[in-house]
Amino acid sequence: MLRVEGLCKHFGGIRAVDQCSFEIAKGSISALIGPNGAGKTTAFNCISRTMEPTAGKVWLDGKRIDHLKPHKVTRLGLSRTFQITRSLEDLTVLENLCVQATSHGFARLVGPSISEEERAKAEEILDFLGISRLAYEQARNLSYGQRKLMDFAALLMSDPKIILLDEPAGGVNPRLLDDIVEHIRALHARGLTVLIVEHNMELVMSLCEHIVVMAQGRVIADGPPDAIKANPEVLEAYLGASTAAEETSDAEAAHV
Amino acid sequence: MSDTSTQNPDAVADVLSAREAYNAGLARSGARGRSWTVAAIVLILLIALPALQFVGNYNYALHMALYTLMYVAMASSWNILGGYTGYVSLGHNVFFCIGGYVSGMILAKMGVSTLITAPLAGLVAAAVGVGVGTITLRMRGPTFIISSIALLMIVRILFDNWGYVGGANGVTLPVTDLDVRWAKIPYYYAMLVIALLAVVASYRIKHSKFGLGLRAISQDEVKAESAGIDTATYKVAAFAVSAFFVGMTGAIWGEYLTYLRPNIFLIILVAAYMVLMCIIGGKGTVTGPIVGAILIVAFNEFFAATLGASEINILATGLIMVLVLLYFPLGVVGTLAQKGRLPRFLDWD
Ligand SMILES: Nc1ncnc2c1ncn2[C@@H]1O[C@H](COP(=O)(O)OP(=O)(O)OP(=O)(O)O)[C@@H](O)[C@H]1O
Ligand SMILES: [Mg+2]
Repeated sequence: MLRVEGLCKHFGGIRAVDQCSFEIAKGSISALIGPNGAGKTTAFNCISRTMEPTAGKVWLDGKRIDHLKPHKVTRLGLSRTFQITRSLEDLTVLENLCVQATSHGFARLVGPSISEEERAKAEEILDFLGISRLAYEQARNLSYGQRKLMDFAALLMSDPKIILLDEPAGGVNPRLLDDIVEHIRALHARGLTVLIVEHNMELVMSLCEHIVVMAQGRVIADGPPDAIKANPEVLEAYLGASTAAEETSDAEAAHV
Repeated sequence: MSDTSTQNPDAVADVLSAREAYNAGLARSGARGRSWTVAAIVLILLIALPALQFVGNYNYALHMALYTLMYVAMASSWNILGGYTGYVSLGHNVFFCIGGYVSGMILAKMGVSTLITAPLAGLVAAAVGVGVGTITLRMRGPTFIISSIALLMIVRILFDNWGYVGGANGVTLPVTDLDVRWAKIPYYYAMLVIALLAVVASYRIKHSKFGLGLRAISQDEVKAESAGIDTATYKVAAFAVSAFFVGMTGAIWGEYLTYLRPNIFLIILVAAYMVLMCIIGGKGTVTGPIVGAILIVAFNEFFAATLGASEINILATGLIMVLVLLYFPLGVVGTLAQKGRLPRFLDWD
């Protein structure tokens, strides 16, 4: 579905993303994890073309997308949310959603800003996420969690094939978090491919079937949750070298 | 998804009540039914205005109406780029100049009236707008504003030194054969048509999917692009539409004045007026530029008549504008709308 090969993004001397390669299978829920500053958001930015990568190739459904403009990538079926939510503040929630609607033909562009079809679809999605009462609220009046949900809702307007979620649970209250997980599961059940960046390990381990671990710009592990949990390199990256060493010696001691 | 909503009557009730509340809000603000009557009356009065010439000499009134209509057209066009899209151009009179010179030179060389060639002038201005926009619209915020001023300066130098169009001295255009009593009328109607077209275009754009895209761009361009909007093309299109109407007004204005000269078209005051009218009236609203144009032209004329000297009347107009903005920070229309007190005939958003 999504294949990344040799992706690099350098900021001056910083190698934010360094020779990253991984593949996301169609219909899977996968996670991209790693410590703060590992380069996850930057990798998302390069894949969705919000940022120009320094080097590397990206395929979506076998088609190269690494030379396209961001809106083309979106129209090909890859949609993403932003870690720090970006909302169109002066627009209503409904308008925020309809901006994302798929039709872009000339006849449509001169037509009404929100067609009845789009309105119905947007209301259905807001309904599905339980925030329909916010439909006509200006985005600037939304709370942080509501914005996360609105971003998520907007994503669904374009009928994506794959969604990239950057910390969908970040700053969201636990009850809402369960909701979000439920929504992701429901979407997955409908055949959508999902790739999420998330720091909540419990959530990642229970939700995802495939995990890619990044540290300092590089992919250091790639596999199912159980293998990742047992991987000493991952522990080291997350907890620092000494702790990891202690843990292994503890484990050895316990073994003896 | 439809099955979720049928399973969840609460959510359906939520949608319905939200929509009801929204519609109630709209009904209150009067946007549900547009006030076509007032618009029609204004239009009829404007169409009938030249009839005054049958009963006396109202050339001054006609001139002021024409001048105001010109700025209604220009401010409304500026608003498409500066208000909806959020790209503040301080060099928009470049297109006024291009329109004026294209039609004016055709008149000077071939004797074809600008009343006929104005659409062509608009198209040339739009084409230049596409060229310029493709380059400058890559910049954002203050950088774009500076690039628009730079454009104005470059074009000024170009026209001041371009021998074919008379350089700084300009070109004198043939005077109409019409009797002085009727001489203004064709240009008056031309400006009326252009102003009407610009306002209708502005209204249609505001309520179109294209306009929604432009408003998205003004809020957050990265987000808009990521939502699937071809931001580069949208911006250039907005720039071109905006330049088109400004170019047409320039064409008419040149023949009306009977001469072309860089210092009528290319002084920064013309561009500043477009911007200020939108800000005073309400940037990004449909009727704001109209209200702004009327207010600024009226104040300016009032002070010019009472205070005479040009510096003092500009100062007085400036003071009034500061006062207006103190009480109407979003412009007259914008602020009234926000407070829910906008009269229905001004509510076309
Ligand atoms: N626009 C930028 N300019 C310069 N450096 C940047 C930029 N964006 C990111 N970086 C750097 O790139 C590295 C990776 O950042 P990135 O945001 O991708 O990390 P992350 O894995 O998403 O972290 P977090 O989990 O905290 O969100 C960091 O060292 C960061 O400082
Ligand atoms: Mg991040």
